[in-house]
Amino acid sequence: MHKLGRGHRDKVQQFMTITGASEKIALQALKASDWHLEGAFDFFYSQPHKSYTDTTHLEELYNRYKDPYTDMILADGITLLCNDLKVDPQDIVMLVVSWHMKASTMCEYSKEEFFTGLQALGIDSLEKFLERISFMRSELKDEQKFREIYNFAFGWAKEKGQKSLALDTAIGMWQLLFAEKQWPFVDHWCQFLEARHNKAISRDTWSQLLEFARTVDPALSNYDAEGAWPYLIDEFVEYLNENGIIQNGQF
Amino acid sequence: MSNQKKRNFQIEAFKHRVVVDPKYAERTWKIIEHAIHEIYNHNASGLSFEELYRNAYNMVLHKFGDKLYSGLVTTMSAHLKEISKSIQVAQGALFLEELNRKWNDHNKALQMIRDILMYMDRTYIPNTRKTPVHELGLNLWRDYIIHSGKIQSRLLSTLLELVHKERTGEVIDRGLMRNIIKMLMDLGSSVYQEDFEKPFLEVSAEFYKVESQKFIECCDCGDYLKKAEIRLNEEIERVAHYLDVKSEAKITNVVEKEMIANHMTRLVQMENSGLVNMLLNDKYEDLGKMYNLFKRVPNGLSMIRDVMTSHLRETGRQLVTDVESSKDPVEFVQRLLDERDKYDKIICQAFSNSKTFQNALNSSFEYFINLNSRSPEFISLFVDDKLRKGLKGVTEEDVEIILDKVMMLFRYLREKDVFEKYYKQHLAKRLLLGKTVCDDAERSLIVKLKTECGYQFTSKLEGMFTDMKTSEDTMQGFYANHPELADGPTLVVQVLTTGSWPTQPTITCNLPTEMATLCEKFRSHYLGTHTGRRLSWQTNMGTADIKATFGKGQKHELNVSTYQMCVLMLFNNSDMLSYKEIEQATEIPTSDLKRCLQSMACVKGKNVLRKEPMSKDIGTDDAFFVNDKFTSKFYKVKIGTVVAQKESEPEKLETRQRVEEDRKPQIEAAVVRIMKSRRVLDHNNVIAEVTKQLQSRFLANPTEIKKRIESLIEREFLERDSADRKVYRYLA
Repeated sequence: MHKLGRGHRDKVQQFMTITGASEKIALQALKASDWHLEGAFDFFYSQPHKSYTDTTHLEELYNRYKDPYTDMILADGITLLCNDLKVDPQDIVMLVVSWHMKASTMCEYSKEEFFTGLQALGIDSLEKFLERISFMRSELKDEQKFREIYNFAFGWAKEKGQKSLALDTAIGMWQLLFAEKQWPFVDHWCQFLEARHNKAISRDTWSQLLEFARTVDPALSNYDAEGAWPYLIDEFVEYLNENGIIQNGQF
Repeated sequence: MSNQKKRNFQIEAFKHRVVVDPKYAERTWKIIEHAIHEIYNHNASGLSFEELYRNAYNMVLHKFGDKLYSGLVTTMSAHLKEISKSIQVAQGALFLEELNRKWNDHNKALQMIRDILMYMDRTYIPNTRKTPVHELGLNLWRDYIIHSGKIQSRLLSTLLELVHKERTGEVIDRGLMRNIIKMLMDLGSSVYQEDFEKPFLEVSAEFYKVESQKFIECCDCGDYLKKAEIRLNEEIERVAHYLDVKSEAKITNVVEKEMIANHMTRLVQMENSGLVNMLLNDKYEDLGKMYNLFKRVPNGLSMIRDVMTSHLRETGRQLVTDVESSKDPVEFVQRLLDERDKYDKIICQAFSNSKTFQNALNSSFEYFINLNSRSPEFISLFVDDKLRKGLKGVTEEDVEIILDKVMMLFRYLREKDVFEKYYKQHLAKRLLLGKTVCDDAERSLIVKLKTECGYQFTSKLEGMFTDMKTSEDTMQGFYANHPELADGPTLVVQVLTTGSWPTQPTITCNLPTEMATLCEKFRSHYLGTHTGRRLSWQTNMGTADIKATFGKGQKHELNVSTYQMCVLMLFNNSDMLSYKEIEQATEIPTSDLKRCLQSMACVKGKNVLRKEPMSKDIGTDDAFFVNDKFTSKFYKVKIGTVVAQKESEPEKLETRQRVEEDRKPQIEAAVVRIMKSRRVLDHNNVIAEVTKQLQSRFLANPTEIKKRIESLIEREFLERDSADRKVYRYLA
């Protein structure tokens, strides 16, 4: 640090405070961006974050939540984590966390998943974790990331060893996700499924529903019956028409 | 010698000038002029051809061709003016005769004059590019006679009047007409056309317009067509006799337009005699007339075809949706066959077997046969009926004919897989109950189906036949190995390969002890030679022949179903049995047991059992006894054969469900096949290709195809393309 000029030293300091990165990383980022803080932040956030988290701290954190009998974080641990983070366990940000962890199934995190996720987020302490919450919330606003998170949710929410997602779980997930996305039909969709379908949801239907929500407008004016939509979605459109929810292209 | 002598032998050019006397030309011309007069006055015999020719020759030679030519023109014109006058004064009918006579005269004269003036024709005229003599003569005739004011119109009106007379039935002098018309033709095609043909066509059009209007008001369709045909032939004959052959097409066009084209619609739609009526009553002659006449007119045939098609479709639709006819499937199909035969005959006899009409017939049948969803079932029942009894005593060729006709109906079906399902069921019953009258006919039909639909369609059916044959051999082997069983009851087992035969739920019942042990022996025998197989007895499909002795000693041989046999054998050990006891002992399912008991206790002539109470229905508290008073005329009594019936509603639904289930794997296989070869394909094209591939078996529903695609995506055979969600990719 003493080799740097005063201005640069300040920048490094600022950088480390904001991102929580180590000095080495801060120098790296600022050098890469020619000592511009903005560029340095961009550089930093686009890098895979690997080595600056302190593994021992992570161990500590992990041990706090891990289940006494198995080497995994289970439901109690997750509840505790949520409390610490001052978020509701049903809060969608936990889904984003799970996504970063590439968690295989809900309500449990393996050690590896925990480590992977937190390292990716640059977290090795609870304070850093709390700081990152708003960042994670912002990720949901990004179109591309939202799609990834949405599609991830399918595999995560379903039972291990099952191919499809149970209907009530799916409905719960949809309510959560589309609250973020503001799709006007989400309630009708859930009602329709409970009334007419009553079976598990396939992956294809899950992913195609997002496309449907994204591309088709609320009056269904650009809905193409030959558009290779999954059969369930075609039925849903019929349901909307039958029940007068869509009348002559009006919603 | 000296050169002087040689000079004396010079030959000089002829310098002697011959001066022709101008009066010589005038004199020579006068000779020729005189000759022309004589010729026109029929006095040619006194003339010397040689002298006249020489005179004409000299004139031309001495450069007096101009004078000769102009003199010819003047002289001939003068004569023609005279002739014209004489023709004009002719009265009435003599007008044409006079014209004709004078024309002949003129031609003769012209011939002679041309011969005389031949040298001029060959030298002077080409040099001066004047009109040759013969042509000149014709032109002058045309100008002075035909186109002379008084003659021109009179000639035309006379000719037209004669034609009209002939059209109204009078006889006219055709020879004279021919000559006159030929004269016009000789004068040049424009003369013929302008001075005769055009007006003739106009007048004819008017005539036929009026006539056709008159006819259409008072005649029915058949009569009208007859009259039209007569008129048409008349005109053709007229042309042949005395008009230019090129006029034929033109006048026939006129008749076709006025008599046929203008009234086509009205004719076809005439009540009680129009096309529909003719079709209904097989009026081959009238239909043939209509066909031949309408063929000549644009859109004539397509009008007939359209009316025929819509009529046929309507008739067919009524036939097929008629509730009454649906009650008897054999009748239903027979009526379809009859209808087809009828139209076949019509097309063959009246419509000259036209391909387009055949196609119209086929498309109509295809349309209405598929309106009734039970058509496949009914056709199978029809075949079943024929193969059971209908073909007894029919010759081989006739059998082939009937089967070919059935195949024709089969081709029209869109849901061929439904037919296959029913056919399999019916065939199974026929084979197992030994009901086929004609084995060759059975096989022949299978071959036809194979030719039509391919090996896959018939492989299972053929498997059924093979099973029957194999079972025969198996039985022989069984009894050969177990000679000790020869005295006991005779067992006949048909071993059916699951998959070839229609799926049946396996229901067993309790067989009588004797049979049970026999069956076990067979099972061990069979499994001994065929390890790894599993046998399940289908007791609901078997039959038995049992000998029975009744109260008064009457002996009968009863042919019954296996279930019935189980029930009857119980009475060897008891005189009375209650329903419940029978149920317990045999373990036959309730509905089958009730039907079985009903057929033995409640049917007149087959009531080998007696029931108390004597009601028609089987109640769970009923008691049964052997009917000691049973009598029958026959020694062998058949009870309760299961005939292939038209299905009841629930059975129908079940079969349809099974067909739908069977279609799913077929659709999936088609999708996989297509995606495997195309690798990447968009949604609409997949639907189109799959539908095309499955067309020969059934009409695939696009919604169903979509569901199958989703299922395949689920099972990771396909995926959606990441860039375009409407495109599918094949996952190897």
